[in-house]
Formats: sequence, C-alpha cells, structure tokens
Amino acid sequence: MTTHITGTREEWLAARLELLAAEKQLTRRSDELARRRQELPWVRVDKEYRFETDEGGASLADLFRGRSQLLVYHYMFGPDYTAGCATCSTIADGFDGFVVHLANHDVTLSAVSRAPLAKLQAYKRRMGWRFPWASSLGNDFNFDFNVSFTEEEQRKGGIEYNYERGGHAMDETQIPEPVAQNAAMTGTDVATYTRERPGMSAFVLEDGVVYHTYSTYARGLDGLWGMYQWLDRAPMGRNETGVWWLRHDEYGER
Amino acid sequence: MTKTDLNNHKVVSLSEWLEARKQFLTQEKEFTRLRDQLSRQRRELPWVKVEKNYVFKEPDRKTTLAELFEGRSQLVVYHFMFAPDEEGPCRSCSFWADSFNAIAIHLNHRDVTMVAISRAPSEKLEAFKRRMGWNFKWVSSGNNDFNYDYHVSFTPEALKDQVEYNYAKQQTDSTDLPGVSVFYKDGNGNIYHTYSVYARGIDILNTAYNYLDLVPNGRDEDELEFSMAWVRYHDQYESKSGNTRREAR
Repeated sequence: MTTHITGTREEWLAARLELLAAEKQLTRRSDELARRRQELPWVRVDKEYRFETDEGGASLADLFRGRSQLLVYHYMFGPDYTAGCATCSTIADGFDGFVVHLANHDVTLSAVSRAPLAKLQAYKRRMGWRFPWASSLGNDFNFDFNVSFTEEEQRKGGIEYNYERGGHAMDETQIPEPVAQNAAMTGTDVATYTRERPGMSAFVLEDGVVYHTYSTYARGLDGLWGMYQWLDRAPMGRNETGVWWLRHDEYGER
Repeated sequence: MTKTDLNNHKVVSLSEWLEARKQFLTQEKEFTRLRDQLSRQRRELPWVKVEKNYVFKEPDRKTTLAELFEGRSQLVVYHFMFAPDEEGPCRSCSFWADSFNAIAIHLNHRDVTMVAISRAPSEKLEAFKRRMGWNFKWVSSGNNDFNYDYHVSFTPEALKDQVEYNYAKQQTDSTDLPGVSVFYKDGNGNIYHTYSVYARGIDILNTAYNYLDLVPNGRDEDELEFSMAWVRYHDQYESKSGNTRREAR
C-alpha cells in the first residue's frame, strides 16, 4: 500500500484548485519574463566568425538560413571528446523533434560545437538527428559567448560562466560525481570535459547585421530540457541523486 | 505577447548589455526557484484511488489502465485530441507530440511510462503515428469513460450546457480538449490519480514554446486568428526546410 496521503475526489480537488492558482501565477510570471527578455538591449556582432557546416564554410549570418532569428544551442562537444556530451544529447533529443516547427516560425535552431565537423556529422548520424550542427573549431565564437575556456583560464580559476566567476559545479576543485560521470561518457578527462559548457544564445539578423540578443546557461537551460518538465509532474518528481540518463541508444546496454 | 519592433531596438555596448542581462538573470533565477517550489507542492497533492476499470484498445489487443504502466510505477497520459469521426488529430497536439516523442525513452529510466490516449479508433491512431514517425504508445479510449472522467471529452448532451474543463465551467463546442493526467500504481496494484493539468497549464510541456520565449520576436502569435494558427503537422509545412517570416504570411 502507498504511504502517500489519499483522499476523495473532492479533497483532491480542493488541494488541486489551490495549486492551480499558484500554477496560473507562474504561467503569468513566465509570460512577463518573456516580455522583459524581449526588451533587453542588443549588441552588434562585428567579429567575423567562420564555421564549418554540412553545406561548407559559413558565416554567422549564414547560420540563420534565410530567417531573421537564430537560436544557437552550445552543444558540449570539444575537439578531444570521443562522443558528444550525453546530457546535451537528452536536450537535443527534445529539440530535434520541433526544429521544423521553429523553422516555420522564422527561427533557425542550430547546434554549434568546437569538435571538427566530421565528428559532429558522425555523432549526429548515430543519434538520428536532423537539426543543423556547425563546427566552430578554430574560431572565437565559443570563447566569446562563454561556453569554451582555455587551459590557462582553467588553471588560474578565471572561468566566467553563467555571468559569474567560478560559481559552477564544473569549477569546483573537488570534482562532483556527476561531472566525472559526464566526462567519462564523452571519453575524456574532467579538465578537458569542463573546458566546454552548455548554453543557449539568441541572435537576430537585420539588414545584413547580426545582433546578439540573449544567452542563458546552467539552470537557465532547465526549461529547455523537455524531460525535466515532464518529470516535474510525475509523483516522484526528478527523483535523482546524480546522472541517471544515458544516450538514447545506450539504455539497452545497462 | 507583444511583438518587439525589430527595426528600432535599442543597441548597446557589451558592458551595458551585461549589466541589463545580470539584472534580468536575478529575476530568471527567482522564477526557476518558484518553479521548483511548485513542483514540490505538486508532489504533496493527495491522491485519489481509481476504482473504475478502464479498458483501452491497441490495434491487436485490449489493454487495461494497469497494463499501460508497463511494469513501472508512474504513468503520464497525454490527452491527445482526436475524435472518432475526424480524419486526423489536432494539429496543436501533434506539435506537442513532436516535442515529447523522443524523450519518452529517458522518462522510462526514471520509472515513468508515457502514453497518449485519444477517442479515435486504434487503427487511425496507428496510421497517423506511422505517418509522423512517432514511437510513443498511443491507445484508444473508444467508448469508455476515461476521457469524460478526466474532463477532456464532452458528450453532445453536455456541450449544450457549460462543461467542466480546467477546473471551471466553460462554454465550448469542442468534443475534445487537451490535457495531461498522471497516475501512480503501488506494489499491490492499486492505481491512484495524482494530477491533471489543462489549457495553458500544458504550455510548459511543449518545450518549443520555452525556446520561442528566448528569441527576439517571442511566440509572435498576437496577429494570428488564434495562437497556434501557424502550426501544421510537421510534414505539411510548405517548405520542409521552413519559411521565413515574410514567406509565411
């Protein structure tokens, strides 16, 4: 038998209505934040970035693919990883299904990573994904948008991620278990793994000029991670003490 | 949601932007914590024992509500709008399905089974699922009470008056409306209803909207006849690679 409180439909309803009021407030708060986010000023991007894509060399403007808005998922896949980050993979499983809808609403969603294009292409084939994925290998893009860091920054504790210095679990000197697990799943050591970080950046293209409008990192990605929003509605919630997920083609092996 | 005027937007230096961004970050963090808090509150809701024996239909077999758990203890049901006499399901629900299709496998590894339920016959569900390339389980509630008991389907008789949807009396001419319901099965096989959510409560479960909330134009639906007027089945957009805003209108 369950130890959870059970009740009649009427008792449940009374509690549910109370929660509903709080949920509606949260939805309105989310709408309000979306409005404020749109009001953030923009920064003109003057640097010329050169990416490698399935279609050949591309500029940042080319990544828009004819649309006026670009979302870049900063996918953790460093040049020395043997596979893409497994955690990013669970996020990508979600957006792969709806990039086509965004594409028909004037938004191109593209992943960008530092690994060479051939590695990205092979991994994308393995995962069966369709979203565009560009390599920023050799350019400053990932460093400028605070998702890749140099060994020197790492050594000196100078990593500024999620708008603060040294504030993230990946910066701790005592390596947390989930970080070590994630590193192992990409076939690399912790230091190499944590020189890449996850994030999402938004850009707009207007009269041939690209503007950076927004970037979010760390738990700012939580709402973009489909599986968590569903788990938040399950009786046991996220129910986790560490990394429990694998890549979608690896579950059978456990 | 109001649309940003892309042509006259304020452009600033990186340091000014950072200042505005950091201020906004504080509000975003507050929001994340508020969301976490509601998730905790949600888990504290009492549960209601399900006494009725619902039987659903798959193309080749019948399945009980208990069997839908597939050996796991938690079941999340997406109430997918597809009335028996319709040719295809709701376009918006199909948009939701595109966003959850590939993550169901991850939920399975947190003791959660995900299933879609509609009133349309299972053959129709199966054919549409094949067409869309989906792999989640989708069963038919046919003529059973399930959809009516969980307030997502309404009889012609009920539609003459106000119906109960999203915990309020509402006027609608839709026989089916969207929602999500959650169930728990204990070790003795007892099933409990734990949670149901409807209307804009399922917004957050269509992750695509959380992505649109990050771009300069936002959801960009204000000028449309209804909010999701731009949504098509994913194989029915005019251009596979997508339209620009100008082409779309």
